[in-house]
Amino acid sequence: MEHLWLIPALPLAGFALNGTVGKRLPQIAVSLIAVAMPVLSFLWVLKTLSSLGSLETAYIERYFTWIESGALNIGVDFMVDRLTAVMLLVVTGIGSLIHLYAVGYMAHEGGYYRFFAYLNLFMFFMLTLVLGANYLLMFVGWEGVGLCSYLLIGFYFVRKSAADAAKKAFIVNRIGDFGYTLALFLMFVQFGSLDFGKVFAAVAPMPVEHSAGLLTAIALLLFVGATGKSAQIPLYVWLPDAMEGPTPVSALIHAATMVTAGVYMVARSAVIYQHAPLAMEVVAIIGLLTAVLAATIGITQYDIKKVFAYSTVSQLGYMFLACGVGAFAAGIYHVVTHAFFKALLFLGAGSVIHALEGEQDLRQMGGLRKKIPITFAVLCCAWVAIAGIPPFAGYFSKDEILLAAHHHHPWMYWVGVVTAAMTAFYVSRAMFLCFFGQYRGHHHPHESPFIMWGPLAVLAALSLFGGWYFKVPNYLAPLFPLAEGGHEMALVAISVAAGVLGIGVAYVLYVVKPGLADSIASALGGFYKLVYNKYLVDELYDAAVVRPIVHGSRSLLWRVVDVGLIDGCVNGTATLARGVGGVLRAFQSGNIRNYAAWVTLGSVAVLVVLGIAVGGAR
Amino acid sequence: MDAILFLIFAAIAVGCGVNLVVQRHPISSALSLVGVMAALAVLYLLLGAEFMAAAQMIVYAGAIMVLFVFTIMLLNAGSERKTDKALFARLFGVPALIGFIVLIGFLIRTLLPKTENVVFGTFTEGTARGVGLKLFTEYLLPFEVTSLLILIAILGAVVLARKEI
Amino acid sequence: MDARFIPEPVHLIRFAPELLLTVFATLIMVLDPLTKEGEKHRLGILALVGLLAAAWGAAVAAANPGTAFSDMLLVDGFATFFRYLSILVGVLTLACSFAYLKREQADSGEYYALLLFSIAGQCVMVSANELIMIFIGLEISSIASYVLAGYLRDDKRNNESALKYFLLGSFATAFLLYGIAWIYGITGSTNLAEIQRVLSNRDIAPSVNLIGASAALMFVGFAFKVSAAPFQVWAPDVYQGAPAPVSAFLSAGPKAAAFAIFLRVYITAFEPIADQWQAVLWASALATMIVGNFAALLQSNIKRLLAYSSIAHAGYVLVAVTTHSQIGTAAAMFYLAAYAFMNVGAFAVVTHFARQGERYVNIEDLAGLGQRQPVTAALLSIFLLSFIGVPLTAGFFGKFYIFKAALDANLVWLTVLGLLNSAVAAYYYLRIIVVMYFHEPSESVADLQSPAPGIQAVLWASAAATLILGVFPSWVLDFAGKAALK
Repeated sequence: MEHLWLIPALPLAGFALNGTVGKRLPQIAVSLIAVAMPVLSFLWVLKTLSSLGSLETAYIERYFTWIESGALNIGVDFMVDRLTAVMLLVVTGIGSLIHLYAVGYMAHEGGYYRFFAYLNLFMFFMLTLVLGANYLLMFVGWEGVGLCSYLLIGFYFVRKSAADAAKKAFIVNRIGDFGYTLALFLMFVQFGSLDFGKVFAAVAPMPVEHSAGLLTAIALLLFVGATGKSAQIPLYVWLPDAMEGPTPVSALIHAATMVTAGVYMVARSAVIYQHAPLAMEVVAIIGLLTAVLAATIGITQYDIKKVFAYSTVSQLGYMFLACGVGAFAAGIYHVVTHAFFKALLFLGAGSVIHALEGEQDLRQMGGLRKKIPITFAVLCCAWVAIAGIPPFAGYFSKDEILLAAHHHHPWMYWVGVVTAAMTAFYVSRAMFLCFFGQYRGHHHPHESPFIMWGPLAVLAALSLFGGWYFKVPNYLAPLFPLAEGGHEMALVAISVAAGVLGIGVAYVLYVVKPGLADSIASALGGFYKLVYNKYLVDELYDAAVVRPIVHGSRSLLWRVVDVGLIDGCVNGTATLARGVGGVLRAFQSGNIRNYAAWVTLGSVAVLVVLGIAVGGAR
Repeated sequence: MDAILFLIFAAIAVGCGVNLVVQRHPISSALSLVGVMAALAVLYLLLGAEFMAAAQMIVYAGAIMVLFVFTIMLLNAGSERKTDKALFARLFGVPALIGFIVLIGFLIRTLLPKTENVVFGTFTEGTARGVGLKLFTEYLLPFEVTSLLILIAILGAVVLARKEI
Repeated sequence: MDARFIPEPVHLIRFAPELLLTVFATLIMVLDPLTKEGEKHRLGILALVGLLAAAWGAAVAAANPGTAFSDMLLVDGFATFFRYLSILVGVLTLACSFAYLKREQADSGEYYALLLFSIAGQCVMVSANELIMIFIGLEISSIASYVLAGYLRDDKRNNESALKYFLLGSFATAFLLYGIAWIYGITGSTNLAEIQRVLSNRDIAPSVNLIGASAALMFVGFAFKVSAAPFQVWAPDVYQGAPAPVSAFLSAGPKAAAFAIFLRVYITAFEPIADQWQAVLWASALATMIVGNFAALLQSNIKRLLAYSSIAHAGYVLVAVTTHSQIGTAAAMFYLAAYAFMNVGAFAVVTHFARQGERYVNIEDLAGLGQRQPVTAALLSIFLLSFIGVPLTAGFFGKFYIFKAALDANLVWLTVLGLLNSAVAAYYYLRIIVVMYFHEPSESVADLQSPAPGIQAVLWASAAATLILGVFPSWVLDFAGKAALK
């Protein structure tokens, strides 16, 4: 018995303590509880994994029978295999660092205890999601993290935009959950169990479905759930808005862990997906489209957190592309490296925002390189990692994904390479705008305290060397066999060159070419002026490649597709629902004779059905 | 003979019932209700339910209706006012009601066996003795529990009608 | 005198909960004039003792299962489950009522007596094995409920509520009684098992249309009591107008009992025409869910919103009834129990928050409750999340079992539409949470006192039950599974 239950139970205890008595405790005690629990949990994960050894087969602990009704038998069972082990390390490890960082970041915020209670609760649900040995337990975690995400996005509830963003996240996720729930039912009806072991054992001998069939339906419905949680087309819209939450939340929940739950779930269900190539194709294409779309939007944003949010969406698209082309191990690899560098990007951005007393607009930054050198240094590590420069973290995983994509369909590789170039470009753009040139804001930047940049340094080291050090695909080889054939050096070189090109273009546009900073400053008048007047006619954007992308993505992709079409659909559904409600309410006149008329009318209808229409029965 | 008597008293019952609803003044409605009760008593008698017929006359047409009329007179209730709110009721309720009656009539006419008598379970005679035997043996529990029902009705009336709470 | 009609002692034991409730209710009526003003709450405590005694009686009766009084009663697991449920709802309602009656200066013995009588009626209903007993039990429960709905005689809203409930309730009961008369006329019996025997015997069974017509007439009565579409029209007005604890009671206790007889009658007596009534139930379940959920979207009054939500939840239970299977019945029973807790809990918050004269019953009034009384807001959030069906709450398993049973019964479309409905429902429940936590505190929360002890007890107990049923659903589900009719 390894007492796996302790892993989620520790953060739960933290939640219980801080949630009940946190209000009365001094801040230092709250911080101590809140940070100690994830750290202890991380240590327990390490201890468990070292005593479990190689984990060639899954290790399962069964606690008690949760539900027993008829054929249905679901237990509260936790399972650890190599996939779980990777996720556990990421969640508890990165989670602990972010908790530590948050102690510094949230020090002067109201509702300090509440924040950490929610954050610990999130850890509990996330670990339940990862450890659960059946789809239902996973669903518990799945809904739970959604709930915590909702609570934390709306943490600054006095801001209306925060409350709206929280609501949007919850509702969009409900759409995804609807798919997940249907998949649960389908699986149960078909296999009589929701246990991973039993379901996969039942699926394994089934023939591969070359046209749409039951497994395809299950796989696609699960993917609907994943598009909600992991912000893929068409349900990605909530994630950029989710940046209304405090920055540590953005780093932990909306970059490193929760949003990768969808990828984990797809990888966990690999057996099902491998039997449904049609669904795999859909996953790959949606992932690729999301990667491209989000990257183009990221290029146009001025809010530093929004840039990184779209970047997250884009990188998640990469992960799904990997799963869709069958390279599940590469997808999980990217989950890990992405957790390193994206958590670092967000925390670094948080450090910048902290330094500028809440300023998030890139146009109000600039020249911060000298003012907050540590933050700059660690962000540089994330920068090279996400841009895919060898031998840093992002390079390894992105490379694996692109090679697998090339193996599947060469065009997917090329689209991926273009996206990689755009990725390098927007991150470089953000970096140049933030740290180079002249300072354009009015605040007095100050470096963050050690408790904030300490975790950043750890993450920076991981971003630099984590990809090289943790060879996730090799570790996962017993679950997902390694692809045959070596690395084709030409393809690798092209993708690296794309990254370098992205950085170079950004360097030219934002640093080398003089007067650019002034042009941007003069464009501060507002968004519309920016789009239609000076900005677009500015010579700096005359570059034939940049202009269509910027213009197209800003006006078409971002404004029409994102805000117009997709927001419109969400709002439209609400309007329709309210319309139906209005008609129904009109019948509720309050007049008792009308009600009696209803009863009579209903009784006639029932009488016709039961008394007249059944005549043929005998 | 039976058929003719039935038709006459059924017509009276229905006529009085309709009159009860359409009359504005409570006294007219109450008197119509007496008519309905009395006509029903005759119908029970025609079906061989002597005890029921007697009980109907004594309890309903007699005791209860007298109480009704007294109450109405004591309260000096006037005619009810006409309201025009129930458009839905008039447009759909009335046709629905007619439809309901037609449906029930249709079902009874076409489906019930015409020659056979309707069965009344274990009740074999409608005399006081027959009914009494059943009520105090087989139907003892419902009979007793009904007293509870009446008790609640009294309690409810007290709660809703008394001066101060 | 026929020996089999002489009641044996065991018959009285099987009838024990009803007897105890009646004795205590009568005792309260007698003691009422002897109790001084301001001390009437002692009668409430007596009522609580009565309810506990009745629960004990139900346990004793459950140990001696069987029929009683010439097959009029049938004490089986099914009856026992619902007896417990009714009594439990009674206890919770009672605990909410203390503070309410004191606040409205309307404390009196009659309230407690009526509550006990209503529960006695529900106990008669759920253990009845016979249409006449069902009818009498239903009337006992209903008449007591009508009076309770109009209990505050000087409150216009109470008056309107009681009058509507009474008139429409009587109207619907007339249909039920007419249906009973029909079924008695064509089968010669009011005993459910006997009716089933006659109806399923091809040689003596009457025309299927006649059975269908009687089933339809009875359906009207039952559907009215469970507020199923299209007979749900009364529920919003009545729940909105009635005193808040009474609304809690009406939407949990009598409704569960009505579902019990619904299930019993349709699964035993009308078993032979199952295919036909399933079709009607299918449509009614769908319509009920849609009407409840979509109308709730627009409500600004929280009592009215909870009324529509109660209609919507009746729709989910109807889905379970539609399955016509043992696990469906068990799912319905589980759901009714789960719903009772979360619903009474939510109404308890409303009772607490509305304050004297029920001034604050708009959703907007709750603004800032999250800051002002975080515990109350958190408990209400638990109930609302359970209404939505979030995992680790009772509501999740309730829906899970129901839709699983529906899929097992091949009701795929009903399942899909039901799940879509529950997605819509998330919107309006969530709105309350948003208002509580994310809106600026309004002046309505400024002078809010902490909840009265009784209400606090209800809140904690209901929240605990909601969470326990959400984590260990087997405890209730096993009971329901064994007790479910087949």
